[in-house]
Amino acid sequence: MKRRIMSLVLAGAMTCGLFVGCGSSGSSSSSAGDYDSPEEAAQAAIQERKESGEYPTVVIGYMNFAGSPAGLDRISEKLSEITEEKLGVDVELMIMDAASYSQNMNLMLASGEQVDLFNAVSVGYMPCVNKGYTLDLEEDDLLQTYGQGILDTFTETEIDGCRVGGTLYGLPVKKDDAAGKFGISIAAQYLDGIGFDYESMYEDGEEIIYTDFDTIDDIFAQLHEKYPDKTVFYMDVSSVVSQCLPIDIPSDNFGVLLNPTESLVIEDLFSSDQYMELCQRMYKWNQAGYISPDAITETSATTVQVKAGSLMAYKTATKPGILQQETNLCGQPVVIFQTGPDFKGSNAYNTMPWCINQNTEDPVAAMQVLNLLYTDPEASTILCWGEEGVEWQETSDGHITYADGVDAENSEYFNNVNWEMPNQFIAKIWEGNDLDIWERMQEFNDSATTSKAMGFTFDNSAVSAEYTALTNVYTEYQAQLELGFIDPEKGIPELVERLNEAGLQEYMAAKQEALDEWAKENGVN
Amino acid sequence: MARVKTQKQPMSKEKRKALLRRSIPIYLMALPGLIYLFINNYMPMPGIILAFKNYKAKDGIYGSAWAGLKNFKYLFSTQDAFIITRNTICYNLVFILVNTVFAIFIAIILSELTHKIKKVYQSVILLPYLLSAVIISYLVFAFLSAENGFINNTILGALGIDPISWYQEKQYWPFILVFVNLWKGIGYNCIIYLSTIIGFDRSYYEAAAIDGATKWQQIKSITIPLLKPTIIMLTLMAVGRIFYSDFGLFYQVPQNSGALLSVTNTIDTYVYRGLIELGDITMSAAAGVYQSLVGFVLVMTANFVVRKVDRESALF
Amino acid sequence: MKQEKRFQIFGHIVMIIVTLCAIIPLVLLVISSFTDNDVLVRNGYSFTPEKWSLEAYKYIFTSSDSVVHAYMISVLLTLLGTTCGLTITTLLGYALSKQFLPGKNLITFLVFFTMLFNGGLVPTYINYTNTFGLKNTFLALLVPGLMMNAFNVLLMKSYFVTGVPNEILEAAYIDGATEFQTFIRIALPLAKPIVATIGLFIGIAYWNDWMNGYIYLTKRTDLYSIQNLLNRMIQNIQFLTQNSGNIANASQGLASIPSVAVRMAMAVVGVLPIIIVYPFIQNNFVKGITLGGVKG
Repeated sequence: MKRRIMSLVLAGAMTCGLFVGCGSSGSSSSSAGDYDSPEEAAQAAIQERKESGEYPTVVIGYMNFAGSPAGLDRISEKLSEITEEKLGVDVELMIMDAASYSQNMNLMLASGEQVDLFNAVSVGYMPCVNKGYTLDLEEDDLLQTYGQGILDTFTETEIDGCRVGGTLYGLPVKKDDAAGKFGISIAAQYLDGIGFDYESMYEDGEEIIYTDFDTIDDIFAQLHEKYPDKTVFYMDVSSVVSQCLPIDIPSDNFGVLLNPTESLVIEDLFSSDQYMELCQRMYKWNQAGYISPDAITETSATTVQVKAGSLMAYKTATKPGILQQETNLCGQPVVIFQTGPDFKGSNAYNTMPWCINQNTEDPVAAMQVLNLLYTDPEASTILCWGEEGVEWQETSDGHITYADGVDAENSEYFNNVNWEMPNQFIAKIWEGNDLDIWERMQEFNDSATTSKAMGFTFDNSAVSAEYTALTNVYTEYQAQLELGFIDPEKGIPELVERLNEAGLQEYMAAKQEALDEWAKENGVN
Repeated sequence: MARVKTQKQPMSKEKRKALLRRSIPIYLMALPGLIYLFINNYMPMPGIILAFKNYKAKDGIYGSAWAGLKNFKYLFSTQDAFIITRNTICYNLVFILVNTVFAIFIAIILSELTHKIKKVYQSVILLPYLLSAVIISYLVFAFLSAENGFINNTILGALGIDPISWYQEKQYWPFILVFVNLWKGIGYNCIIYLSTIIGFDRSYYEAAAIDGATKWQQIKSITIPLLKPTIIMLTLMAVGRIFYSDFGLFYQVPQNSGALLSVTNTIDTYVYRGLIELGDITMSAAAGVYQSLVGFVLVMTANFVVRKVDRESALF
Repeated sequence: MKQEKRFQIFGHIVMIIVTLCAIIPLVLLVISSFTDNDVLVRNGYSFTPEKWSLEAYKYIFTSSDSVVHAYMISVLLTLLGTTCGLTITTLLGYALSKQFLPGKNLITFLVFFTMLFNGGLVPTYINYTNTFGLKNTFLALLVPGLMMNAFNVLLMKSYFVTGVPNEILEAAYIDGATEFQTFIRIALPLAKPIVATIGLFIGIAYWNDWMNGYIYLTKRTDLYSIQNLLNRMIQNIQFLTQNSGNIANASQGLASIPSVAVRMAMAVVGVLPIIIVYPFIQNNFVKGITLGGVKG
């Protein structure tokens, strides 16, 4: 018997050995301190790699909606041509579809597989930091030495938006940081059908009509009357609170800033007047028959429903270029109304930061690649749109479009996730968007109302049991309340009571404490 | 594999040698399977300790600090703990009961039918057993969708009843889930019982018929008592899995609808949601350990009790 | 006899109802895959659609070759997996049925133990990825988890114990046949029903599996099986509908997801082989469960 046990133990020990063997020694080049300037240090690192003749490979992981594209290896090579020449590094892309990204990335990070750079979208920035998957980007002045271009790309505020407890574990991406709250797209044909004059409502040069709910109510009523067998309005449950109310939602709906430009007091969203008002609006619309009875289990995209002719209006988070985007998606002209302000919340920069895996063999190479992706237009274009002449070609007016014989269906690299790329602002602009789109986007980002807590992230690992419980309660009511299937006068008090039982107050207290600490560290008051 | 050569009863050297020589090819036959079990099951098994660790990627599974029972906390500390445990156990108990009763009922009918068409019945009712959970969730949705579903559109419409928003009304779901589970499993369960019934000695029934026993009496006093060992065996196996739930049935089939959570949330779906929301691998490891331990204890206890009552029927 | 007749009628009525219950949902699935998508969205699911259409199938088989390709992978995987799995399960089950085998009880317990305890997802993943390097290979679909499980081994073992008389095997051995010959020539033919049954179990497990592809295939999506495609579609739909609040551009992703009719058609395509293969083995299947299942 003893021997049997021994052999089992041996087997165990064997596996142990295999598990642990993923330390992070690696070939770090000479320390930055030896050089006079960051440029010199960066050049020296590149020189050293080129002289050695061995190019390290940097693996870059991110998600899209369709999984690994057919042209993956070719695009990796294309990108490597640039990185080899400029940095003496090879890159390898690793793209996973949205549904499996979180699970797969978690497994890879946990098991020590090679992935040097990754986007934390869907995996969650906070969980990654908590489990120690992410490298401190300022360790040995890594960012300052090898990421000068990144520092030039962003303002200090933007970078600070990714700090957790003062430490920088990720870098923001260039995208629409703000969003227009409670935007509503309505297919133009139906507005024409009821004879609604929207043309005159546009203000000069605007693509969005700013209006109020009375107008919307009026339009909906007429639409419903004229087209009784079409659904008037639909929105995804998950976006009701986050995209309709001008409040700041730090990390989750349990404890929010109801007045984010003025105060840093965490309050209960569900007991608030704003929430009640929102739910009542949805309830009214639902009772009036504007919302489909299948709204909760609906799995077709709003734009697809519009295309199919079963839906007339839907919620849209607005931004510059939105009119063109929605028109393309719906396959017909739409008109976009907006009833709320443009708003930038605490999570503007840290929802999808780029991180370096703590396990990377060569942090310097990883940082330099990242720096290149943020600053090199050619590299960024390849990452966003693929290879010239194969995926895309230039048009006469300076846009790019599909290469001959290529479309969204058969393209070997058409990810549609440029908002996740480090810097889409420097890439070429796809046909259908204005050439000045990114300038306007920058303006939009800069001018939006900004939460005082911008940059704050709540680490809920100490109250994760409460979080799970709260989420469970909330999920039970969320869709029914927020899509107006139950009377908020009855539903909300019930929800609030059950949330309190599940520990909402404790959770909010923890969040407040973290926020206060953050405010003190960052000098916000 | 030849390491196991000690036998309790004394044997002559030649005999032992002969036995060993005869056993070698048998061990060789067992070898591929055992290697597979070693690779697939035993090599990852030390990873169970992940459930007791405060996992940090840098330190690896074994280097991470111990967390004690912290990872188990979320399974017990919240009010959900009661609901998920209740749901998991109650559904399983009802499943065991309903499936057994219906399976025996159908099996008895099938065994008594004389027409050849019973082969067709038998094959068709087994079909749902072969479908994946994803496909079953499609099927259910085709029936229950509020706007497009067959039930609301056709059946309730014809009866003049108002449509029901199935995915929001939780009072129906215990029945729906029990039904779907029955629908899926009945073919398989029924065949197990049927095959046992076919094996019974027909002379009992002939004797009973001569004595003037009705069909019902025959079933009650011959078939069911004879089925007892099979019932016990199958129930025992089910009891061992009482803390597990069919993830597809409780997650995919209700379309993950929040309104139904209090009647569809089980330990498995709870852990899955926790994993998705928090990305915490140690929590799911803890749940796995918990389920395994409870299952192990339950099987051992149940087996012990059965052994006391009826030695022959025990699993081991 | 009147009573007997009444019972027969009652029995047939019950069975017809039960059979219809089993088959009707599948019929609805098939019909909706042949329904025009717009009609499906407008009028809902129906056994008598207003307008029939082959569009969904056309879409599947022409829009990209991935469905056909995934189909081939599924078929190959199922055939290979079933062959390997059946071989090692049968051999191990047979070995364990040998009463004289020294250490039999210990091995049986080691087999049974795996039914209750396992290392969990992450350690298993690390094992196959780092130790064996199976990630992004066809072997990752074939090896992890599915090839053999304790339940099947025990089922097989008990069939050999109860369904194959030991005397015959002993007689053959005494007549000079080797253990291996005895197994191939005598035990195996007698065990045909259980072999067919477990073959079907393993085959279905391989055919219906999406987990392995989901976890181990991150780059080589050209190795996706048909279930992976189906599952990825559903998971993506769920992800997008649940996260559209956090990821503003999720709606763009949703827009590229196939219509309801196409999803139904893919489901039909996914079930079809099972329905086709099943009648051929169902006879043995029933016999196999019967004899093997009596004592697990």
